[in-house]
Amino acid sequence: MSENKHIVLELTEVSLSYHSARKTFDRGRHHVLKDVSMQLYDGETLGIIGRNGVGKTTLLQLIAGILAPTRGQVKMHSGKCASLLTLGLGFKPDLSGRDNALLSAMLQGSSRQQATSFLNDIKEFSELGDSFTEPVKNYSAGMRSRLAFTTALMTHVDVLLIDEILSVGDAHFRGKALTAMQSRITGEQTVVFVSHMADQVEKMCDRVIWLEDGHIVAEGDPGEVTSAYAESVARAHNDNMAK
Amino acid sequence: MPLLHYLRLIDIMARMGLRADATRFFLGYIWWILEPLLWVGIFYFVFVTIMGTRGPDFLMFLATGKLVFVWFSKSVTQASNSIIGAKGLVGKINVPKTLFPMAVVQEGVYRQAAVFVMLGIILIINGYTATATWWYLVPLMIVNYVVIVACAFVGACLVCLARDFAQIISLGMIFLMFTSGVFFDVRALDPEKTKLVLDLNPIAFLLDAYRQIMMYSTAPDMLHLFTIGVGFGVLLCVMVLFMRRRSQYLALRALTA
Repeated sequence: MSENKHIVLELTEVSLSYHSARKTFDRGRHHVLKDVSMQLYDGETLGIIGRNGVGKTTLLQLIAGILAPTRGQVKMHSGKCASLLTLGLGFKPDLSGRDNALLSAMLQGSSRQQATSFLNDIKEFSELGDSFTEPVKNYSAGMRSRLAFTTALMTHVDVLLIDEILSVGDAHFRGKALTAMQSRITGEQTVVFVSHMADQVEKMCDRVIWLEDGHIVAEGDPGEVTSAYAESVARAHNDNMAK
Repeated sequence: MPLLHYLRLIDIMARMGLRADATRFFLGYIWWILEPLLWVGIFYFVFVTIMGTRGPDFLMFLATGKLVFVWFSKSVTQASNSIIGAKGLVGKINVPKTLFPMAVVQEGVYRQAAVFVMLGIILIINGYTATATWWYLVPLMIVNYVVIVACAFVGACLVCLARDFAQIISLGMIFLMFTSGVFFDVRALDPEKTKLVLDLNPIAFLLDAYRQIMMYSTAPDMLHLFTIGVGFGVLLCVMVLFMRRRSQYLALRALTA
């Protein structure tokens, strides 16, 4: 599907490993990603699926330029910027939801005026009401994730990187969040979407990459890849039960 | 990140840090003034009431030294832990890593402004006069600020590389407090030792300069001050370059080490 589209981002044989303070594996060396190569095309929604701890978030961090690969190359098409959309951009619990939202927006590059103009939308969408001006430490977990999701939603970037974001809040807010997310994804926005939930990925993505133990196992049509992934998860589960 | 946006962010992060701090305490912003006043109160109690041998001059001598030293030690110690303390953020966006120590230092600047005003008032109440020599405080404070920022950057990087440095830095601050003449007059030592301490320890020189200006209306050794400013200014630039070029490396260390 994507042959005639422009490549926005390219990863060539990317590996990432690091030394940890405690000598556990391979003399304390952890290998998070091993020889991962992939391309991202303009306007597509790419899903990355895999169990917890296989390197999905690290892959996003490499794409966003937060981390640099130990080996290999991450090449972003010039003039484009990628931003990672994750929950709870390091909230300061003693500050109000409003202050936290303002700070998050400014850290992601909005000017003070822009950030201030977002605040009303954020207050409204998150349905926090008067709690918006209360310290975040008094929030319930649901309120916190509502604030986090809404703040994240306001960022405007060329490549949107979404990390396990749609498991937030109660059923009502989750539905609303999903709709808001989908309306952004279906537009011209280029998206990389990470999840361990096969059905979400299948519904939202044009193309899927299955990551296992730091490398790519399968890549292609969402239906095929996610069902192969779901089978493997079920098999692993059955094996565990048998033991 | 454009410079203007970077500076705005430092300012807003510092203000929010102060606000967060104030909401934590019942007395809020009053602590800005109360803390240094309590320091002076403790010194008064120990050195004037209990030991009884020293007069109010010594009290002012201690207050000047201690309140200036705390600016340095608190800023550097807190800034050292600032990058790993912002782990949640560091793993989510690629921002300049200097932002975190700078915000902490800026917080200290706002606090210290109140402390300096109070120190000036206490000195004047105690019979010292604010002369034209006090203008020397301007270059002195600028150099002091440069020293703090440079040390804050070094500390923040070291703690990223290994958490153990946090321990060493806080111990180092105690060592520095005892060797910088907070509690004794470096000029009361043998002339040779005085020279040695002032030459080797820039903090001792800075503390002494504040006292010379504010208590004795004497101009500091400007060449010495200038040398410290240039030395730490160069260190600061080197650190900024390092932290820019190794931004992703520092992020990895902060997230994993």
